[in-house]
Amino acid sequence: MLSVIKEAELPGLGKKFEVTLDNGDQVVVVILDEGNREVYHFSKGEEDALSSVTMTDQEARQVGSIISGSFYQPHLLEKLETAVADLHIEWIQVEQDSEIAGKSIGEMGLRKNHGIIVIAAIEDKHKGKQCNSRINPGPSYIFTPGHTIVAAGVKDKMKQFEQMLKVTKKEDDS
Amino acid sequence: MNPDLILNLGLAFTFISLAIFFANKLNFSSIPFLILAGMLVGPHAPEIAGISSAVVQRTESIDLLSRLGVLLMLFYLGLEFSAGKLASSGSSLLKGGTVYVALNFLRGLAFGWIFFHGWTEAFVVAGITGISSSAIITKLLVDLKRTANPETEFVLGIMVYEDVFLAVYLSILSGLLFSGGEIELARILPSVILIFIFILSIIILGRRIGALLEPRLSVKSAESFVVIVFTLLLLTAVLVDTIHIEEAIGALLLGLVMAETIHSKRVIQLITPMRDLFGAVFFFAFGLEIDYRIFGTAVGITLAAVLMTVIGNIINGLLASWLAGYSSRRGFNVAFMIIARGEFAVIVASLAVSAGVNKLLPAFAALYVLILAFISPILAKNSRFFYQHYIRLAGQVIKPRGESTK
Repeated sequence: MLSVIKEAELPGLGKKFEVTLDNGDQVVVVILDEGNREVYHFSKGEEDALSSVTMTDQEARQVGSIISGSFYQPHLLEKLETAVADLHIEWIQVEQDSEIAGKSIGEMGLRKNHGIIVIAAIEDKHKGKQCNSRINPGPSYIFTPGHTIVAAGVKDKMKQFEQMLKVTKKEDDS
Repeated sequence: MNPDLILNLGLAFTFISLAIFFANKLNFSSIPFLILAGMLVGPHAPEIAGISSAVVQRTESIDLLSRLGVLLMLFYLGLEFSAGKLASSGSSLLKGGTVYVALNFLRGLAFGWIFFHGWTEAFVVAGITGISSSAIITKLLVDLKRTANPETEFVLGIMVYEDVFLAVYLSILSGLLFSGGEIELARILPSVILIFIFILSIIILGRRIGALLEPRLSVKSAESFVVIVFTLLLLTAVLVDTIHIEEAIGALLLGLVMAETIHSKRVIQLITPMRDLFGAVFFFAFGLEIDYRIFGTAVGITLAAVLMTVIGNIINGLLASWLAGYSSRRGFNVAFMIIARGEFAVIVASLAVSAGVNKLLPAFAALYVLILAFISPILAKNSRFFYQHYIRLAGQVIKPRGESTK
């Protein structure tokens, strides 16, 4: 679920963004016209900020990209969801014993039969190793366990595709 | 090249830099420091043991820079303003803002009438005491880390509202001053109405005029852009002067028009350093003209004005924020925040002086800004303390009333 962001103009100062988090806390980001960013943390229902930080433009950009996950993606969220209207783009990992592991895109007729477009295949990344990604892999690409597939499609088709990559022949390890 | 001229200017800027340096060190607004510096080294400087510290003369060059300072400050004010922002802030601001500005102004008018016995003086005093300093207040908001608070939107909204009021106020003031301060309604009224209609049409048609100006300003080179903008500013000042409107209003109106073009951000970037530079000269030059020896006569009136401003502002601020639907706690933050006075008090006073209204006014304005600049941050910082006292008092008098949070 996406959180509600409230925007407000602060004439002469800059702009304010209020984000209410799932747990009820509020994060308020003020972007000042002179470049600094102020971040405030309000506890649920509190009128005074618990804490606040002021960052320069440079620092704010760095912190921002760290938070957005450009440098490190949390393991639990290998599946990233982006929904534009009904179009879904997802990052899904190919499981060890997925039913389509070992099959190629062409063999399955993925676009024709399942309505899925594979945008990229990212090879398993381990610490220190450069990860290798293939943008727009051809029909000969074989789904390999450990690879992360970036795929696009409408919601229902994506669900099915996700099942194919995840579902194991044995149903016991959930 | 006259070496004395440069020497005088160099000295002036040395003191300006020192004043700004100390203001930054103490984390205060630089305006009172600049005025003080001007007073200490100007023609009316104190004489200690036969040695006078009067080292800076008020030369024509300083006058010119200070006039440019006023033009640039009002031009910038217009640029920052946008009718869209005002419209989007909604009806709560409209209600609260109108009440706040109107009550503040009437209070100043009454005060001026009682102490100066003249309508022109009363009008000038209302301007000096009625319009808060957005520069000091935005700085305070950032310093006190209140930018994220909900009431801050309201405080800044009031500032924008005051800017609109300022345009109207200046137009009436210039009509009043050009007619020599006489209160012959038949003579003043046409020019005031003319200026008023002129300003209103600029505000309403600003976008149209802006669209006309926009393609002509699409110059890539930063050099020619800044020259064109500056030329426009000077020409507007000349133009409005020929139709008997204060040149400062011309600058404000040009700013309003430019704010509606796509170039507004670029103009602001170019103008800000110039405004800071010449604005500092303006406050310094204002100080040069002030003789601290007449503070004795001004001090009583000034203290009364300060008292009136603080008490009146707190009541008005609370009333306005109550009307806008903020809780009384937020209201206290609003009321104690908007007490600071600064640049406009000084601009209004200097306009009045150049028209020769009352000799006491500059000393009054300087002392007034000085005192308020020092007490307003203290009041703003402790709004919470005052609120708690208020709650205790209210709890003793009447039963505690429910807090509604917005």
